[in-house]
Amino acid sequence: MSESTEVQTGSQSFIRVFRALGVFVFMGWLAYVVYSPIVDTTSSHPFKLGLDLAGGSHLVYEADVSKIDPAEVDELMNVLRNVIEGRVNRLGVEENVVYVEQSSFVTDTPVERLVVELPGVSDVSEAVAEIGSTPLLEFKLYDAELDAQQQAVSQSLGSLAESATSSGAVIGDVRINGEAVSKEPPFVDTGLTGRFFERAEAVLPQNAQGSGFATSPFLNITFTAEGGDLFADITRANVGQQLGIFLDGELLSAPTINEAITGGRAVVSGSFTPDEVQALAQNLNFGALPVPIELQSTQTIGASLGEEVLQKGVTAGAIGFSLVVAFMLLWYRLPGLVAGVALISYITIMLALFQYIPVTLTAAGLAGFILSLGMAVDANVLVFERMKEEYRGGAGSRAAATVGFARAWSAIRDGNITSLLSAIILFWFGTSLVKGFALVFGLGVIVSMFSALVITRTLLVTLPDVRLKDKTLWSFLLGNGLNKQK
Amino acid sequence: MTTNIISKRKVYLGIAAVIVTVAIGIIAVFGLRLGIDFTGGSLTEVSYTAAPEKAALEAIVLELGLDGSSVRASVDESGRDAFLIRTRDLSESERVNLSEAVTKMGAAGEVSRFTSIGPVIGQELRDKAVWAIGAVLLVIILYVAYAFAGIGTPVRSWTYGGVTILVLIHDILVPTAVMALLGVWLGAEIDVLFVMALLAVLGYSVNDTIVIFDRVREQLMANRTEHRVEREEAGIMMADITYTLNKPYSELVEAAVSQSMARSINTSVTTMVSLVALYFIGGDVTQTFALVLLAGVLAGTYSSLCIASPLVVAYAKWRGVDVDSTQTIKTI
Repeated sequence: MSESTEVQTGSQSFIRVFRALGVFVFMGWLAYVVYSPIVDTTSSHPFKLGLDLAGGSHLVYEADVSKIDPAEVDELMNVLRNVIEGRVNRLGVEENVVYVEQSSFVTDTPVERLVVELPGVSDVSEAVAEIGSTPLLEFKLYDAELDAQQQAVSQSLGSLAESATSSGAVIGDVRINGEAVSKEPPFVDTGLTGRFFERAEAVLPQNAQGSGFATSPFLNITFTAEGGDLFADITRANVGQQLGIFLDGELLSAPTINEAITGGRAVVSGSFTPDEVQALAQNLNFGALPVPIELQSTQTIGASLGEEVLQKGVTAGAIGFSLVVAFMLLWYRLPGLVAGVALISYITIMLALFQYIPVTLTAAGLAGFILSLGMAVDANVLVFERMKEEYRGGAGSRAAATVGFARAWSAIRDGNITSLLSAIILFWFGTSLVKGFALVFGLGVIVSMFSALVITRTLLVTLPDVRLKDKTLWSFLLGNGLNKQK
Repeated sequence: MTTNIISKRKVYLGIAAVIVTVAIGIIAVFGLRLGIDFTGGSLTEVSYTAAPEKAALEAIVLELGLDGSSVRASVDESGRDAFLIRTRDLSESERVNLSEAVTKMGAAGEVSRFTSIGPVIGQELRDKAVWAIGAVLLVIILYVAYAFAGIGTPVRSWTYGGVTILVLIHDILVPTAVMALLGVWLGAEIDVLFVMALLAVLGYSVNDTIVIFDRVREQLMANRTEHRVEREEAGIMMADITYTLNKPYSELVEAAVSQSMARSINTSVTTMVSLVALYFIGGDVTQTFALVLLAGVLAGTYSSLCIASPLVVAYAKWRGVDVDSTQTIKTI
């Protein structure tokens, strides 16, 4: 960095201009990086919006681990997480998040929690039912008679529907022999369910050498003695028929019974992935969930509401930014403009960090960010005030800037370190909501220091070196107007 | 700009005492309404294009056996008429019943927001909030004492740390009193967002105060004369260093405050214009947050200029330091 000398060499001023250009090129590139994911929806680094902005539901379950060996808690919570994630996935909710959270050490008794985030879901009834369900594995026999009935009904329904639509009548439900004909697959219960399992084991193809049953992962089931007998009875009585295997009411496979199977073992195959078959085995082994869970807290925000909050937040940010820059321009003139550029770089860098870390943006985080717009120029204000003193004392504007930065440094450092320490404590203590705010706050402190110490400084020393007594346009622009010197 | 804050410190500290007393009075009289974040419970926001009578909703809530509930008229984010129904922690079936019953009323009823927090989580959030604020205060006093160690003034660096904490208590009381008033007028409740606003105020105010103390440090360094007395003790050369301040302590602090004035006010202006934008445009969710912060930033600016430095000088005088004439001090 060049000191203030009366004679400026050409190469020094060239370097200064080159640095300033470098700052602008860097900011332009970063702005493009930030802007492109907004336009391009397929981007790999979009902004991550919290549920309160995107709309959706946030469910917190408390797991009862009191009857579990403390050494196994972590593992079982992980199993629980996988099981619940599988159930949530079945709902077809995209980008759902399921995670385990421990209560912080400030509480007397530690609590294990499971948090389920469902973006876009504003009616949680279905989700709550699905998450709370126990997996149900059933064996049912194919019923040819029922199948025939159903087909007959659907055929006659088809022709009825045609005539009905022409006559304007509406068809309610159809009953045959007083029994409602359901759309369920044509299978009848056998009474054999997961209750009779002793053990379920996931078999992956690589350790299924020699077994001619399947090439995809499958499930090996060992029945209890009672279940084994039941299974033998069923298979003995129904040789040649199809036995349907259902998981949560969904048909997995329907192999044909070739002979009576004794010995209490069965193989369940379907189009499983290795993960699925393992989760299923875990599920069945634990009968239900590995750990009983209870819904503790629910938060639901309608999608349109979240969008509204986001829109308003962005508008408030834009107006807040304009007001801050307008004030800085009025008060500090040209340096104020430089502070405005530094503030733009602050915003750009922050947004880039939000995308790439990524930081989940919530209403609180957004409010914190808007607050930080006003606070981020503080380092600039500190420097400009110091600079003003030197400038009025007759120093050249460039020398005044250099001295300003040197003098303001200790205050900027001490003030920002306390803020950073506060942010770390907040992050450490916080729940997810507070963590987001603390992260925005902490990043803001670091980035605002960078924008003042690097960007403002680079641009400020590129400006012409003038003195107050010159009485030129430049010396006016680099002065501070509202506070005329006596 | 030359100020008279230090010379008229009794006036400014008196104003601070009045502010603190009034704030405590407001909090004591009106009390604070804890939101469900801290008490546990459920909050249902139901929006209508044409809202039913509040009494009808209250009747429905009672009919469902949800005693001790409260219904409050409000406006949702899209500007529709809405009601906020606060009940105890609801089970899933109770939630479904309530939601069905209230959406049937009025026109186009819709549950636009539902939050339910179990009592255990509420208790934990409350504990966390207290711990977080306590830990932040502790770290601040330690850091200020550390950063200003060796400041070599008539008072120890711990004094600056202690004064900072007193100032912060003032800065917490003011927005909390505002919150108490908002609770009475608008039914605003203390939630996690409020705690975050308080912590942001702490950060802002301590920054503001440190900047002024930094100027005090600079003034002390620039306006002192060093005296070295060298002596030999057991063959080792020792030097006793004392300093004479060239100006009275109170005058140096006054100069520091004067120099910091413009910066303190400018930064509070830029922060407040952001907050005003947030308050008027940022939507209902963060409106209370913005208002509490506005009060906090105002309090923080007043306290760092008109409470912190006067308090340091007042303390020094109380400890027997002659603050109004030049003096010789030892390094600490």
